[in-house]
Amino acid sequence: MNRPPMLMHLKIKGENANFGLWLPLFLLIPLALAVLIVLSPLILIGVLALWPSGWGKKAVLVLWAAIVSFCSMRGLKVDVKNRRESVYISVV
Amino acid sequence: MTENKKKILEMLADKKISIDDAYRLLNVVDAGESGQESTPKTEPEIKGGPRYLRVTVLPNADHEDAARADRVNVRVPMSLIRAGIKLTSLIPPEAMDKMNSALHDKGINFDMRSVKSEDIEDLIAALGDMEVDVESGREKIKVFVE
Repeated sequence: MNRPPMLMHLKIKGENANFGLWLPLFLLIPLALAVLIVLSPLILIGVLALWPSGWGKKAVLVLWAAIVSFCSMRGLKVDVKNRRESVYISVV
Repeated sequence: MTENKKKILEMLADKKISIDDAYRLLNVVDAGESGQESTPKTEPEIKGGPRYLRVTVLPNADHEDAARADRVNVRVPMSLIRAGIKLTSLIPPEAMDKMNSALHDKGINFDMRSVKSEDIEDLIAALGDMEVDVESGREKIKVFVE
């Protein structure tokens, strides 16, 4: 698994809106971990309840896949411009 | 010098084989003589492989309306594509059937169930040679890996 991304740069230019934002993902990771720890008993109960139907295993895999996908986002860059508007997203 | 080596050098002198071929054949002969495995030495494998899938849409300078064209520059990490392909295995079968029928309606006969996580590396390695260039009106579209 890759190292998680540290920053997300978001820049939107339009006729009415014009803003740029550096989102510190490295600060959100501890926050997300804390939420995950707090909710872990509920998640565990949910997974155990759903396990016989087969959805419990899928729920665990989805959670893991979400973490892997997030960590794989490092290097993603989207830059779309037209004459009036532009959107720039970069994950570093 | 062995008979085989002489033959190889003769073939090279007669320009029947290239310098690369001669080098490869001499390596095979050397390996055979020293009792090693008689496989030709290949170039070291390129480490890493393709890292990003790039999609660019740029204005076509030859077109009179190029100034109005959109500009797109997207760079997607291969690791994200890998994770995405792996996620397809978590799609419920009912949703997979719906996706397949929607693709079929659009004229694409592709079964999403045939995407296996084991084939991902081969698929990504094959993407390394891919390059799509489309010139359409005021825009130039390019899809490639780097």
